[in-house]
Amino acid sequence: MTALLEIEDLRVTFNTRHGQVTALDSVSLHVNEGETLGVVGESGCGKSITALSVMGLIPSPPGRIAGGEIRLDGENLVGASDKRLRRLRGAEAAMIFQEPMTSLNPVFTVGEQIAEAIMLHQKVSHDRAFRDAIELLDRVGIPSPESRARDYPHQLSGGMRQRVMIAMAVSCRPRVLIADEPTTALDVTVQAQIFDLLNEIQRDFGAAIVLITHDMGAISEMADRVAVMYAGRVIEEASADNVLDHPLHPYARGLIDCIPALGREETDLKEIPGVVPPLHLLGEGCAFADRCAHCEPRCLREKPRLVTHGNHPAAHPAACHGVEEGRI
Amino acid sequence: MSPLLDVRDLTVRFPMPKPSLFAPRPHLEAVRQISFTLEPGRALGIVGESGSGKTTAAMATIRLTEASGGEVHFDGVDLLKLSPEKMRMRRRDIQLIFQDPYSSLNPRTRVNDIVREPMDLMEVGTPAERRERVVEYFRLVGLRPDQLDLFPHQFSGGQRQRISIARALTTDPKLLVCDEPVSALDVAIQAQILNLLARLKDELGLSYLFISHDLGVVRHVCDDVAVMYLGKIVEHAPRAALFDAPQHPYTQALISAAPSLARRKSKGYVRPLKVSGDPPSPINPPPGCAFAERCPRAQPLCREVQPELEPVGGSLAACHFPGPDEALRDAS
Repeated sequence: MTALLEIEDLRVTFNTRHGQVTALDSVSLHVNEGETLGVVGESGCGKSITALSVMGLIPSPPGRIAGGEIRLDGENLVGASDKRLRRLRGAEAAMIFQEPMTSLNPVFTVGEQIAEAIMLHQKVSHDRAFRDAIELLDRVGIPSPESRARDYPHQLSGGMRQRVMIAMAVSCRPRVLIADEPTTALDVTVQAQIFDLLNEIQRDFGAAIVLITHDMGAISEMADRVAVMYAGRVIEEASADNVLDHPLHPYARGLIDCIPALGREETDLKEIPGVVPPLHLLGEGCAFADRCAHCEPRCLREKPRLVTHGNHPAAHPAACHGVEEGRI
Repeated sequence: MSPLLDVRDLTVRFPMPKPSLFAPRPHLEAVRQISFTLEPGRALGIVGESGSGKTTAAMATIRLTEASGGEVHFDGVDLLKLSPEKMRMRRRDIQLIFQDPYSSLNPRTRVNDIVREPMDLMEVGTPAERRERVVEYFRLVGLRPDQLDLFPHQFSGGQRQRISIARALTTDPKLLVCDEPVSALDVAIQAQILNLLARLKDELGLSYLFISHDLGVVRHVCDDVAVMYLGKIVEHAPRAALFDAPQHPYTQALISAAPSLARRKSKGYVRPLKVSGDPPSPINPPPGCAFAERCPRAQPLCREVQPELEPVGGSLAACHFPGPDEALRDAS
């Protein structure tokens, strides 16, 4: 199977007052049709920057794609013209943002906003687009869609607004759907509804989903494959089962052990000490070294590469010297 | 043992604007006659969706929101009947940690002064003793004394929450109200703060009123859990009973909705219990059970008669048809 979306050796830099920093460092990812890739990590690890790069939405300046390729169905998006990107955005690849409160326009009705997205990509009349919008609202589970389409965003609850965002994102049947923490601002019951809806949409449309989250629980329920990111690099990548049951990188283990999940008995949570280092302070070695219990002199000198070590059946790529040397 | 906190029939109503000049004034019923007790040295978690009244209930308990009725006995004294000055002096026993560590610390004040301020206001000890205590509590929450002269913006989110905790502890409170203390933090940092809160509870013998929407967090910190829905407690139980054998269908739905590592997409996991829609409006709440519209077990009785909290299994549940859920049990 060929990958629908392929990111290869992507490097993104930002000019800051601390000089140039590397926000993404040789990031490689791929998603196949009908598959959900979970991208997980703490804030500041480069998850959202990866998503924005795919959509061609890196603010430039100060940001710049300094190297690598992003291929959507074989077509390289890095260096593509603005006009071409505008064609693809929404039609081929769409994004659902974290904040349904701020990503809708408060002065237009939600039906109007969905219709606008449809008319941008398809040659249809306004009436037809508005009817399609109502159908989409019905599809994402909004009750009485005819009257809701004439509501303004502030008249809807947080969960409904996120449904509107999803309706807008799927309006042109994109082949890749990027969901950037789509449920952080929502209650658990609504989060469950949104997750179920995304899974349903994937079944019906066969879209590839990239789900960005910091919650390993969400990964478990939603993802087929997982990429763990830390300080702008992918540090572990494998099937969801493999990462959850046999995490290799100490950071991936930490992320799984630190959630106070239901259905888990131990009373003491394992914590990851410290915080994600600021990008301008990244040194020569492994970025996780100062938070890692298994740190050795080599970890401070040399950046580990993302490769598979050993031939255990559950072995998968992990960027860690400890794993390579069999210490962890 | 007599309870530290004994809340009876606490009610909070907010007046709304009149729809027209002669219309009766509508009221938003934020908290509807809730009762609970908290023993010393224990932690009571209040969980619920946004709008369920969990924060309002806690704030009315410690008189930061005005209650419209009920009694709050703290150490045997009804807080709601105290004069403002007496209440102010009581506040040294009751402290608060807020959700957002970014907006709850004054950006123009050094953290040394932030942590000392409650002692200054309550006139605890001599100035020299206060300075010593600041250092002591700074160490206790895992910060370094050489950071005392810094400003809040020089700390990370987790460190700021530690400062909030140090500030809350300086007056030797008996009760700590934690209003979503970790929901603004990254997962890895959440664990640090939760472990700190658990440790402090044991070391200092604190009682917590712990508000959260995250069942996993509540399960980790709390001894007892009260589930709120539209201003009422619908289930109240010790931790083990609530998580292992929930009786109220709403509690079951909440547990079923919370993400868990045991539920795998690869194993074809499908959520057994689905709750659709949103809670009803707290303005003119329905006469019967507020959950009836979203409940899989609802009968005509549920829409007419409000259920009361009654013992079922190991819990207190407010439901006409309580009991374990088959689908949930099969799935787990």
